[in-house]
Amino acid sequence: MNKKELKLVANNIRKAIINGVYAAKAGHPGGSLSATDIMTYLYFQEMRIDINDSKNPSRDRFVLSKGHAAPCLYAALAYKGFFPVEDLLTLRKLGSHLQGHPCIAHTPGIDMSSGSLGQGVSAAVGMALSAKIFKEEYRVYTLLGDGELQEGQVWEAAMLAGFKKLDNLVVIVDNNNLQIDGPIDEVNSPYPIDKKFEAFNFHIITINGHDYDEIESAFNEAKRIKGKPTAIIAKTVKGKGVSFMENKASWHGAAPNAEQYAIAMEELEKAGDALCQK
Amino acid sequence: MSEKMFDPRKTFGKAVTDLAEADNRIVVLSADSGKSSGFSDFMEKYPERYFECGIMEQGVVGISSGLATTGKIPVFCAIAPFVTARPFEMFRNDLGYMNQNAKIVGRNCGITYSDLGATHHSLDDFALMRMIPGVVILAPQDPNEIIDAVSAMIEYEGPVYMRIGNPKIKNLYERQPVVIGKGRKICEGDAITLITTGSTTAFAMEAVQELAKEGVYVEHIGLSTVWPIDKELIIESAQKTKRVIVVEEHYVKGGLSTIVLEMLNENEVHVPVIAHGIPHDYASNGSYEELMSYYKLDSKGIKGIITNFIKEDK
Repeated sequence: MNKKELKLVANNIRKAIINGVYAAKAGHPGGSLSATDIMTYLYFQEMRIDINDSKNPSRDRFVLSKGHAAPCLYAALAYKGFFPVEDLLTLRKLGSHLQGHPCIAHTPGIDMSSGSLGQGVSAAVGMALSAKIFKEEYRVYTLLGDGELQEGQVWEAAMLAGFKKLDNLVVIVDNNNLQIDGPIDEVNSPYPIDKKFEAFNFHIITINGHDYDEIESAFNEAKRIKGKPTAIIAKTVKGKGVSFMENKASWHGAAPNAEQYAIAMEELEKAGDALCQK
Repeated sequence: MSEKMFDPRKTFGKAVTDLAEADNRIVVLSADSGKSSGFSDFMEKYPERYFECGIMEQGVVGISSGLATTGKIPVFCAIAPFVTARPFEMFRNDLGYMNQNAKIVGRNCGITYSDLGATHHSLDDFALMRMIPGVVILAPQDPNEIIDAVSAMIEYEGPVYMRIGNPKIKNLYERQPVVIGKGRKICEGDAITLITTGSTTAFAMEAVQELAKEGVYVEHIGLSTVWPIDKELIIESAQKTKRVIVVEEHYVKGGLSTIVLEMLNENEVHVPVIAHGIPHDYASNGSYEELMSYYKLDSKGIKGIITNFIKEDK
């Protein structure tokens, strides 16, 4: 896919996030929108996955450690073709396969259940270790929030990943700088994030997490790095793409009302139209 | 039976190592706990399948889950409270919720780490593990059962928690395969139904023999599976003897006795049930023998409790 096509997919995913959260009257739009470009690139460009063979042992794997960005993951999976896009409107509803947080037992295409912060890197390390030991070529990607870095279990797994030289593992930090109680550096600062991962023997790449050239070059660089896992620190904007949600911690876990919904969708429609005309 | 004594941890480690020869899906994880879990041979024979992670039990439970998603069968053994109470949420989310084919083994269970203090006792592990839907709980009662429980655990597809002790133990009875969910009638009787599991069974068997000399014939049921519970065996016996005592190296609340009480109640079997175990408090320190005697969990203590129950219930 070229960059323009990727941006169009991302725009559809953003609309699906807003639609799903609006239909559910609940959910996490802020951190879903900040992660959209990264997840779009992963599912539509980077990862070797096949929707007709979703359990192929050699497939690349993705662990959404910040499980509350489920609306984004679900939209990516739906647009990829794992299940109908219409299902996205059943988010969080009784009987839906799209639960509040990702569940491997319910939703096709999911590699790991998540929801309780801090646990995803451990699971990803387990997958990456398995590939190393059993000589599999697949790569493992995990996306976590920057506030999530406050969880101690992240660093248990990071220590082992560096020590075991897991160069098939890429940890991406969605560095939107906001958590529920406010800016991360006012709550309990994880900065300097790059130096921390560096100290854990990771290769560090810092990018603008909404710039597809930078995203592409980061993932390509990660593939060239041998003997070290890579941490991509993606500088992002919480609520990216919906003006009134951008950089507002209050949109971490809130659904728009009817008026806000209309504004958000209009903005995203316009953004989509602009992309088509380019 | 032979009086030969076996170290439960070495017996366990050897059983896993033996199975690993034919089954290369088996991988072992260690949280600085491999050698003391009986894995010295495994480390030597299968270094590529042995993952030393260091002291990070929560992370290791998550790593086990990741390995299980790739078709491996992770076996993780460490001191019981550190693989149950400490990573409880990881166990629930990463293993239970995902129904992962991972095997977690708590060693030095109960109060077998007697003099290390309450931080190292596991008197709530049955209660905790049973609250995670889909987790099988095993507590083999003698060395042969440890070996057979390892086979059953590996064969079973899904999350398993197994608890083993620390002091040396001997074989108690003729070897039978361990079938998950099935108990064993160790001896027939009509005075009372005695239900035990894990290492407590050995002490209880001595008590049962002493009681028989006094003309009190106990029906003794030994359980290598704590959950799911063997309903059929227990109900049939309870209906015959009309009274039940559950003896376990666990809190009297939340453990095997609670499981038995709930099960009998659900099946409308209304007979008196005595729960005998460790009182719901932080256990004291001392040698294992001292503590078992103090909590009346040695053969003399169990005999006394049964005698009193029968006397009072007449």
